[in-house]
Amino acid sequence: MTGPRVHSWIAHLRDGGTTPWLAWSDRGAAVPVPVPVPVPGAQQLELLRRINLARGSGATRGDDHGDDHGARTRLAERVLAAPAAGRGKADLPLVGHSASGFGPRPVDPSSVSARELLRVASVLVADDLVGLGADPVHPTWPRPWRRRFRLVGDPVLVGALREDLLARGRPEGGPRPFVVAVGAPLDDLLARTWTQRCFETGTKPWAEWLRFWRERDQLPARADLLASVRRWQPRRPFARIVTDLDRLPRQVGVRRLPEVRVPGADQAELARRVAAVVGLRVPAEQRPALMRTLQRRIPDTGAAPIDVPEREREWVSATAERMSRSLSRAGYSVVGDLADLAPRATSAGGGPGGADDQQVLDLAIRMVVDPSWRSRRPSRGEVGQ
Amino acid sequence: MSKRVLLHVGCPKTGTSYLQDVLFRNQTVLREHDILYPADRFDAHFLAALDLMTLPWGGLETEAVGAWDRLAAQVRDWHGTAIISHEIFARATPTQVERALASLGDAEVHLVLSVRDLVRQIPAEWQENVKHRSHITYATFLRTVRDPARESKIGSWFWAVQEVPDILERWGASLPADRVHLVTVPPSGSDRGELWHRFSRTFGLDDLPLDLTAERENPSLGVPETSLLRSINQRVTSILTPPDYRPLVRELLAHQTLSRGVASARLGLAPDDHAWAQDLSRSWVATLAGRGYDVAGSLEDLLGPDAGTFADPDTATADELLAPALDAIGALLVEAARLRAVEERLHGELREAHEESDRARLTASYRIRRKVVTGLEDSAAGRGMLDAYRRLRGRGSRS
Repeated sequence: MTGPRVHSWIAHLRDGGTTPWLAWSDRGAAVPVPVPVPVPGAQQLELLRRINLARGSGATRGDDHGDDHGARTRLAERVLAAPAAGRGKADLPLVGHSASGFGPRPVDPSSVSARELLRVASVLVADDLVGLGADPVHPTWPRPWRRRFRLVGDPVLVGALREDLLARGRPEGGPRPFVVAVGAPLDDLLARTWTQRCFETGTKPWAEWLRFWRERDQLPARADLLASVRRWQPRRPFARIVTDLDRLPRQVGVRRLPEVRVPGADQAELARRVAAVVGLRVPAEQRPALMRTLQRRIPDTGAAPIDVPEREREWVSATAERMSRSLSRAGYSVVGDLADLAPRATSAGGGPGGADDQQVLDLAIRMVVDPSWRSRRPSRGEVGQ
Repeated sequence: MSKRVLLHVGCPKTGTSYLQDVLFRNQTVLREHDILYPADRFDAHFLAALDLMTLPWGGLETEAVGAWDRLAAQVRDWHGTAIISHEIFARATPTQVERALASLGDAEVHLVLSVRDLVRQIPAEWQENVKHRSHITYATFLRTVRDPARESKIGSWFWAVQEVPDILERWGASLPADRVHLVTVPPSGSDRGELWHRFSRTFGLDDLPLDLTAERENPSLGVPETSLLRSINQRVTSILTPPDYRPLVRELLAHQTLSRGVASARLGLAPDDHAWAQDLSRSWVATLAGRGYDVAGSLEDLLGPDAGTFADPDTATADELLAPALDAIGALLVEAARLRAVEERLHGELREAHEESDRARLTASYRIRRKVVTGLEDSAAGRGMLDAYRRLRGRGSRS
């Protein structure tokens, strides 16, 4: 009889247990609590076991020391009912339990890949984010004497600075603004463009995204500084290409700007997956604010930002040279040196092929287990601020 | 409260597009006969399926927010028979099936599954993959499908929507057998109306004055045309986004141009694959026969045709690809010309708008005011004065 055995294992997991399915020996034990029918897939069950392990380790425990049985059960029910997002495998039956000769091949849950578990975990994080709602924006009264500016270029930096300046009474825009294009080495600029996209609508995986642009021999709109400036049709004296970030504050009429941390590869990859699910949960116009909230609050793991892989570097170098020449010919003022747009000679050490699935899963589990990212108020200087 | 819900959950490539088009276009007539097909757009039930199954779909999913709950609410509120139909529901997991059935309230749910033999479904699914950006070769596709591990996305998806006994176990587990209806697709060469008769009988549409004109079908491609499309995908899939691919490649090339090659060889299975598919189908037929479902048609239809001459799309020659390739270039040039005309018209409209705006600015007083404002904006003090002035005038200081 495998039915009672699986039900007792599910009850064990719901109760915070961490015993793997194959080691579960309490065959046919009486089950005092109701079990879900139908039996969830191996992905959901194994994720719940890993969540229980994370809770038990205390390594990711936040301010839930007063957590009770009820909260644990609620979380377990959410995990067991969560779908695996996207076109991956169907819910997988457990080896030794599936009686049917049809459907996917039964598996040992502990062998389910991190990628499969992530499909479920990203749904849980997305639902938590939707439940949390978007952080309110508090613009202050615009300073009448402020310098009029419009920021383009490095999307991570520009997005964060735009918000900071708005909070300081210096909203972007206004009559005849200076168009300030924030540059960076093109490999960084591309990585940050993809990263920011992950925290907006989501996009394809990093390697595919980069290949898309390389095969087109084009730059995405926000990484193409010349096109970004021209879109606003400024007269030449009203455009600045800034590569020296120490001199950026003066270009927007302030003395200092906050440090902006670029999200790590694991944070970006998780955000990419969460964005797809949030797109199915809330109307399109609500997603940007929710994703900005995630960008501010996502826990820092210390992982390096994404990096351009070696095979794409030749194209990135050639494109950077072409962009520098075009900017030089266009005659816009340069604050810094256009040579700084050239990609760095060596990799910065981030994940060139994208984040490791296990790292992303660890982050997702941490966010599911530890609710502190939802309860605390984000402070200035964090990601996206 | 709806008395009956007919829930049609698959399978793909079984004439579902035609059925859904007839239902969508005849909603008014159906309502007059107490039958609800609730859809404000053709793909309303597809969006509901994406929502139910948390299935991102190239950006379309953003239009699916809350679509299942809305659909279910309409069905619950209806007093007569309601029909829900989309083939990708076949992929739902047991948990999603449970949620779907629970949300239909206490209506009498009838499950409908239209099914076709694997001998025709396997090539059709490969073509469908090719029409959805894939450039997998036919041989690799077959290897993937035959791999019992089903590790790949393609294999996993294929069996989730084509393994008839499994779909029925997931969707029909809580329903009595007489409320599960199988509609088999008739063998090739049958009367064109036969499939519709089977659908019509199952959905209770016989004798209704429906407009059955085929406005929307999912036409199949010949061997060289599919091979060409796969080659095109190899070049463009990585550089064309789904919103561009859908109208230009899938609709314009595949559906409107290449599917016209009716004289081309039709795709089938090589002898070894054919024998394997028929063996598998026989085991399915035996299983299904024992379950006592209502069958419109015959379970024998699931065995499929005998093996015919096999034309391998992976070895199509340049000569064979030339004619469809020229057709494709022609179609794209005509489309480019049409888009150029649209662009030209939009440029014209923009030019007119600019001229109108310039005329409004030609007055002397406007030029003087503009000069004053421009001068003031060059200094912080001037900008402050302008802001104060604008606030006094009741305008926002931001523009």
